[in-house]
Amino acid sequence: MKMYRGAVLWLILALVLATAAVAQPPPLSVIKWDYPPRFKNVTITVVGDAGHNLKPYEFWKGDFEKVGITIQIIEVPFEGVYEKEKTEFVAGTGAFDVVTFYPAYIGDFAGNGYLEPLDNYMKKAPASTWDPNAADVLGPFWELYCKFAGKVYALPIDGDVLMLQYRKDLIENPQEKAAFKAKYGRELKAPETWQDWLDIGQFFTRKKGAKLAGQVLERDFYGSAEFAKRGFSFAWFLNRWAPFGDPYFDKDMKPQINSANAVKALQNMLDSLKNSPPDVLGYGYDELRDAFIKSSVAMVVQWTDVPKKGDDPSQSAIAGKIGVGRVPGWLIGGKVVHRSMMPVGRVVAVAADCRNKEAAYWVAKHISYDRSLEDVSTALTGLDPYRKTHFQNPQAYKMFPTEARAQDYLKGVEAAMADGYPEIFIPGAAQYEDSLDLHVNKALAGQENPKQALDAVAKEWEAITDKLGRAKQIELWRKALQAYSSLGLIK
Amino acid sequence: MSENRLLLRLRRRRVPILFVLPAVLTLLAITVFPLLYELRLAFMSWELTTSEPARFVALRNFGAILFQDSRFWSSLRVTLTLLLFGVAAELVLGTGLALLLNRLRRPRTLLVSLFLIPVMIAPVVAGFQFRMIYHDQFGPLNYLIELATGGRWRGFAWIADPKIALFAIMLTDIWQWTPFLMLIILAGLQSISLELYEAAEVDGATAGQTFRRVTLPLLLPVIIIGILIRAMDSFKLFDIIYLVTGGGPGNITETISFYTYLQGFKFFSLGYTAAMAFLQLIVITVIAQFFVNFQKRQAGRA
Repeated sequence: MKMYRGAVLWLILALVLATAAVAQPPPLSVIKWDYPPRFKNVTITVVGDAGHNLKPYEFWKGDFEKVGITIQIIEVPFEGVYEKEKTEFVAGTGAFDVVTFYPAYIGDFAGNGYLEPLDNYMKKAPASTWDPNAADVLGPFWELYCKFAGKVYALPIDGDVLMLQYRKDLIENPQEKAAFKAKYGRELKAPETWQDWLDIGQFFTRKKGAKLAGQVLERDFYGSAEFAKRGFSFAWFLNRWAPFGDPYFDKDMKPQINSANAVKALQNMLDSLKNSPPDVLGYGYDELRDAFIKSSVAMVVQWTDVPKKGDDPSQSAIAGKIGVGRVPGWLIGGKVVHRSMMPVGRVVAVAADCRNKEAAYWVAKHISYDRSLEDVSTALTGLDPYRKTHFQNPQAYKMFPTEARAQDYLKGVEAAMADGYPEIFIPGAAQYEDSLDLHVNKALAGQENPKQALDAVAKEWEAITDKLGRAKQIELWRKALQAYSSLGLIK
Repeated sequence: MSENRLLLRLRRRRVPILFVLPAVLTLLAITVFPLLYELRLAFMSWELTTSEPARFVALRNFGAILFQDSRFWSSLRVTLTLLLFGVAAELVLGTGLALLLNRLRRPRTLLVSLFLIPVMIAPVVAGFQFRMIYHDQFGPLNYLIELATGGRWRGFAWIADPKIALFAIMLTDIWQWTPFLMLIILAGLQSISLELYEAAEVDGATAGQTFRRVTLPLLLPVIIIGILIRAMDSFKLFDIIYLVTGGGPGNITETISFYTYLQGFKFFSLGYTAAMAFLQLIVITVIAQFFVNFQKRQAGRA
């Protein structure tokens, strides 16, 4: 009996250990790198948004231990990263060594002296240990995300951009194609314009009991969905507005956000809610992802990590059925102009008051470069490609059934990046974007009409600029415009 | 001469002073100093997103909040709505439950303990629970509604429908805090002497008359304290909003504490936030004063 009990205990222990053991992507040998000399058993505190994007520090725990670094992870809610880091920086607590943040805040963090410039660490020899290979990083992610006033303050770990994701199996279904042609007089294909988005969305919105691709629906099905919850709903509006080519402000910081084109863009977003699930105003990233990969909607615009999860049968009900493409655009001057927002993104930086800067830098560099292909090519994280290496190695993306499908996905991401449209990269970004987000959300909730909403944003943006110091803001905005333009982000 | 007398008096009272001193110093350090510091801040412009130093702006922050900031007024309106309807519902339900429990004997302790579970749950956990419960497609609430109506009605988009999101927040708050009012009213009920009820019975009072003329007047001081505490709590309602709706849809559920948090910890406008906090303090003080005066008038009448 005692032996039996002992065996059960061992079995339970083994099961617990097996569960606790971190699933990790297999190490790849594409990027060549070397360990640094051993540090003197230092603890490096890393802070970032909670969840799957901090997993790389667990995956590669062994690498850090090998060089005498213990990683302590502090998880902060996604929406609370800026405030948590800023509060600690202002208070000068020295609580963090490596900080993960959204690059829209680099002007704030680097400009206020909270971050350590990294140029000297990057130049150290041997290059195989210290060089993060900046030339491998795609232009916008290096120039816009990592640099401030000519110096490097951060290294990229996540190349966020939004892309179109749709149910290829439905769009290519012969019955559906015929029905669509009969109704709209044109071929059913992935939406190219925002008007197509509305038509296809309406076409696929069906009640429980109706047929979809020959199958009787057991619950309601919807044509499309949006990130319509407060937080980033502004980015889904900007996807629709950016193709018209107006930057957020003119060179004198006069807001351009309440133009007739902007009203048209917001009206389109509002109209698309008719084809969305009834709780779409509560949809953030998680809800929007789940609605798509659990087969409740036919198409979404989402961050580029979703197709990786969507092709993983353990997470998705639509594995193998996802098509990707450019975010829809508008027909302007006889051709369709597409723009896709680049919201969020993640970079890592070394805090200026860190006591083990060299070790902290190596941790950041190890995640940003050495192990980056493993981290972006797994469905275990939400990190997206940002280096040429990530696009040149489709074989690493094992969640796709074939290399060709992985290649399709990477081409889709590349196309989305070519259409990339940046956030507001000047101090006060949080306030400008919150104001836009609030009024976009008010329009979606029916509290304001699109014109009222965008006029209110323009008025509030003027007030924010005045509050933060108009002359300084104009100077910074002109620099940002120059950077956007030189990187081809605005035309 | 008078100096000597003062020193003499201090020496004589040395021991009591030494006993009181730590409490006074602690109070100064953790209450008076932060309050004065915040008051000073309310007259400054200090934007931490820029590297500009703080500067004195006199009453400009207060003027901007009161006359230009429509978001301040709408979030105050949301807070007052939650206070009026939420606390009223908690009071009615809490009183009803307390009256029922007061009649029970043996299972009362067990039931009170069970009823108190929501109060013991951290608001952040309650927020997370209700976010799950209210989920349109996978939440148990809509599942039960669909089950109860035989599949004819699938419930609401509780936290996404602009018409009912505030109600959903109110419901969460009512679920969590009704037991608190129930508890203090129950304590009040148990302190009422049974002789008064016996006297009322002898005088031939009906149950309704006994409640109106005996129970309610004697409970009033306790009820007022309960309402006062809940009213002050309503101004601090943050966790549930942060977790369940984020202030949305639009700004339908944005409370004053959530907006203050955004100004302070997202926009880092410290002077403006301090001014907002002070204005809230004034509103809460006025409300508290109203209830305290009301209680005094009632006590005077008694």
